[in-house]
Formats: sequence, C-alpha cells, structure tokens
Amino acid sequence: MALIEIKQASKGFGTEGARTEVLKGINLFVQEGEFIVIIGYSGSGKTTLVNLISGLGRADSGDVLMDGRAITGPGPDRGLVFQNYSLLPWLNVTENIALAVDEVFPDWTKGQRAEHVAKYIAMVKLSPAAHKLPRELSGGMRQRVSVARALAMTPRVLLLDEPLSALDALTRATLQDEISDIWLKNKTTVIWVTNDPDEAILLADRVIPLLPTSPATLGEALTVDIERPRDRKAINHDPRFKKLRAQLINTLLDAKGKNKVKSSRKLVLPDILPEDLTKVNTLQFLNRRGPKRRNELKLEEVEVTA
Amino acid sequence: MKHFKLDSILLPLAAILACGFLWYVIAGRSVTTTKKDDWGDTVKVTKRKGISADLPTPAETWKASKLYVTDPFAKRGELDQGILRFTWMSLVLVAQGYFIALVVGTPIGFFLGLSKKFTTAFDPIIQVLRPVSPLAWLPLGMILFSGVKIVNGDGRTTFGASDAAALFTIAICAMWPTVMNTAVGVRAVPQDYLNVAKVLKLSRSKTLWKVLVPATLPYMFTGFRLSLGIAWLVIVAVEMLTGRPGVGGFLWQQYNANSYAHIILCILTIGVVGYVLDRLMSVVECKFKTA
Repeated sequence: MALIEIKQASKGFGTEGARTEVLKGINLFVQEGEFIVIIGYSGSGKTTLVNLISGLGRADSGDVLMDGRAITGPGPDRGLVFQNYSLLPWLNVTENIALAVDEVFPDWTKGQRAEHVAKYIAMVKLSPAAHKLPRELSGGMRQRVSVARALAMTPRVLLLDEPLSALDALTRATLQDEISDIWLKNKTTVIWVTNDPDEAILLADRVIPLLPTSPATLGEALTVDIERPRDRKAINHDPRFKKLRAQLINTLLDAKGKNKVKSSRKLVLPDILPEDLTKVNTLQFLNRRGPKRRNELKLEEVEVTA
Repeated sequence: MKHFKLDSILLPLAAILACGFLWYVIAGRSVTTTKKDDWGDTVKVTKRKGISADLPTPAETWKASKLYVTDPFAKRGELDQGILRFTWMSLVLVAQGYFIALVVGTPIGFFLGLSKKFTTAFDPIIQVLRPVSPLAWLPLGMILFSGVKIVNGDGRTTFGASDAAALFTIAICAMWPTVMNTAVGVRAVPQDYLNVAKVLKLSRSKTLWKVLVPATLPYMFTGFRLSLGIAWLVIVAVEMLTGRPGVGGFLWQQYNANSYAHIILCILTIGVVGYVLDRLMSVVECKFKTA
C-alpha cells in the first residue's frame, strides 16, 4: 500500500460567485522511501497541493490518505519545510529546532532531546552557528535550519515547498547536494516541490508535472532512472538527463500553450457624439443641451468632397 | 557632521529663548506708584500691568520657584513640599494605575486580536468608551468605589474611595492604546508563524507563549508607551479633582492660592517628566524589536 494516496482530490478558494478552482482530479500515490518531485509554474497550485498533504488545507472533494487513513490536520509525522524558512526570529537555531523536538518527544529526558537537536544541527553543518539568531544567518543557512527542524521530528514524509527558490544559484546547488546526501543516508519519503526542471531531475526518483490548466491537474509521471549518487557535473552530459529534461520542459510548455484562453467578448462602444466646443466659450453656452446620442439624431449630414 | 551637531543644540536653544522672550513680553509686571490719598497721605500703590497682567515674568517665576527646585525633596507641610517630592507621589500613583491598565488591557487586546466574534461583540463598547475624558470617569469611580476604605492601626484611612477612583480613572483611560495595539499586533502575526505552530502541533498555551506573545511584543510595547503617556496626562486631572498631594494637586492648590508662578513650575515639571518617561519607554521598546 502506498504511504500517501491522493484520489480525485480537488480544491478551490473563495465563496460562491468569486470562486477559483485551483486543483482538480488530483491522483497521487507515493511509496515509502520514494523521492518525489512535483514541478510546476509559480501560481499553479503547488503550495495548495502540499498543504493538502501537510494538513494545513483540506480537500473540497476526494480523499487524501496517509497509511490508508484520512489526513485531517497537520502533524509531526509530516515534516514541512517552508519556502520562506518560517523560523521564529526570537529563537536561536537550537531553540527553533528544540521547539519541534520538545513537542514530538515529550517523554525523553532533557539530555536526550538536547543530543537529538545537536545531532540534526550537525547533520546540516550548522554546529558553529547553533546559538545564532535567524537574522544573523544567510538565506542558505536559514533554510538548513528549517530542514533540520523538519528532519528532527523524524517525520515519515518530508514535504519541501519550493525550499530553495529564494536562494542564489550557487547556494541552491550546494544545498541540493547536501539534502540529497542526507536523503541517501536515512531514506525518508520526500515530496519536493519546485519550479526548476534541472533540480527536479537531479533529485527525484519520479518527477510529476503539475500542469497549468485551470484548475491544475497532475500530468504523467517521469521516472528518473539515473543511478545515485548523481554527480552534478557528469549528469549534464548524460543523454538520459538531456532526454528527460527536454521531455519535462515540453510537457510543461505544451500544457501552458493549450491553456491560453481566447476571449471573445462584444464590446459596446459609447453611443455619444462630441459636443460642439466652439459654443462653450461664448455666451451661447446658455443654449447648450449637453452631448447628443447617435440614436437621437434624426438626420446626419456628412460632407463628402468628391 | 560637526556643523550638524552644533545645529541640533543651537536651534532648540534659540527656540527656547524665543519662547521665553514671548513669555516675557506678554507677562505682567508690578508697577509701584506713589500718590496722595483723600487724606493727603502719600501711599504706595502696587498694580500689575501688561498684556496679561497676572502672568508672572520668567524672573518672578524663578524667584518664587527657587525654594521648590533647589530643595526638591523638602517637606514643609502636607501641601508645601519640594517639587520632586510631589512628582514622586504622582509617579507612584501613575505607576499603580498604569500597572492595572497593562494587566487588564493586554489580555483584552489578545482576545480582540484572536477572536472575530469577541471583536464584533465588544468593539462598539470599546469605541464608545475610548474617547471619554478622565474628568468624566473620576466621578463614576467615586461612586463605584464609595465603599472602599482601608484603615491602618492609627485609625487613619490609608486607601479610600478617592484613591480607588484615582486608580480606576488612570487605568481605564490609559488602557486603550495597549488594547488597540495588542489587538492589531496579534492580527498582524504572520501566517507563517502560525503555520509553524500548527505543523509542530504546539499546544494552545505553547502557541501563545512561544509564538503569539513574542511576535506581538513590538506592537505591545508601542501600546505600552502610548499608555504611559496618557496615564501621565490623566494624573493632573485626577489630582486636581481628588485633592491628592502630587504635582497636579499642587498646581491646582497654588492656583487657588493666587500663587501663579508655581503653576508654571508645575507645568514645566509635568512636561519634562512626561518627556523623560517617553524616552525611557522608547529605549525599552527598541530592545524588544525582535522581528
């Protein structure tokens, strides 16, 4: 049985009348230990999809199941890494992670919990910065703290919502490698959301495009059969990588193209004739009767010079 | 940069001198004339003349206030004490009333910020009560707490209805900025932080103390600062009406005693103390600017 199953889920926002459907007919099956990447344009509903799994949002219809049970709310079995880090700025690195650990492992002793926190800080290579506040850290370091916080809860699924899109390209590459190393070590199930095709193929077992139809639907999954660990430099020349990349980009571009809405609407032009302005500045303005409408004209004189 | 620094001292100084001069010009001065009365004796007649005849000049003000300023902690009688001694009494009263305002106002602000229903229910009441003047609250306080009387061993009342009314008035007037700012602060807590609390499944009390309160602190302190300003504003009115000794009580009593120079002394003292309090609070406020 799949760890996470989404069956025919749909989700929209707004009330009757001003309602937008965001997701429709979503079907997703994630096996234990799988690394899934969901790729899509910004604004196409990726975060909404992640929220369905994390429990921050509820599907309007359809089922979202984990271990065969419906997901009704957030929980520590699904660690969430936010796009904007969402660290609490008044707590330092250790305290931010400890907040999660204290909540998930209340029966442990203080020493055990502190050790656990330190272990995950070391895992993301932040031990020297353990007592710094988030504002003293760079973007990449903050995102590492966020990853460590999610991992420290020892979740069954790690959900990452565009975790690296706020970072510069070089930092992004480093973090991709680091997170992929961590994953190779403990093989947690990962659902990673991104808008970067290279990142998707580099990291994933399966890449699933979220097609920008309106409402959005999931496209055909691409299985990435490149063996791990994947070398960032070598993979660029791998023909399988090139093929997958082209395939993925085509799928996304095609969906975008088909989705272009042609609007045909009849525009009614104003039925009004300009006023004779020569009268405005003379005393004759007293006789003005305002602008005329074309349909009020009984006779229209048109001068034609032959 | 040096030039700029000099400016920041010289310009205010110039403005102060200009105001002092204006004061000097409109103030009245004593003019003594000798004239013969109906019996033919020469008598000295002292009259005050000037644009505002009864307003003492800066020099007269200083002469009359000197004793109070140079010996600020003297106690010559219940109603004749050094200016800082009076100020201290007022400050103690303000501190008590202010404390009540914060203790009551902050939770109300939190409820307003957290619950839409609570806001809908209580917002009209708050908006109506907010602009009511301290002068209006005080009589109500007197009625409300008319039964309050704490007597010490000697049979003297240490805490009576007027004390309770004074505290009530300060608290209820000073409370609103804290209430409003806390409410706004709670509403302004970023959804991200609340999502973190939800994902970590923090308990209600932990969400409050670890997420909501720290995130709201900067707003709360802005409210606290405004509240302190109002509490200090209210003290004069309260002391005037209840006749408590203090800087405001002293002001009113000296007005009744035709000792106008002391009124100016009191006004300046109230202003300076208010300014110092505000500065102190803004220092504390800066410390809590977490986010």
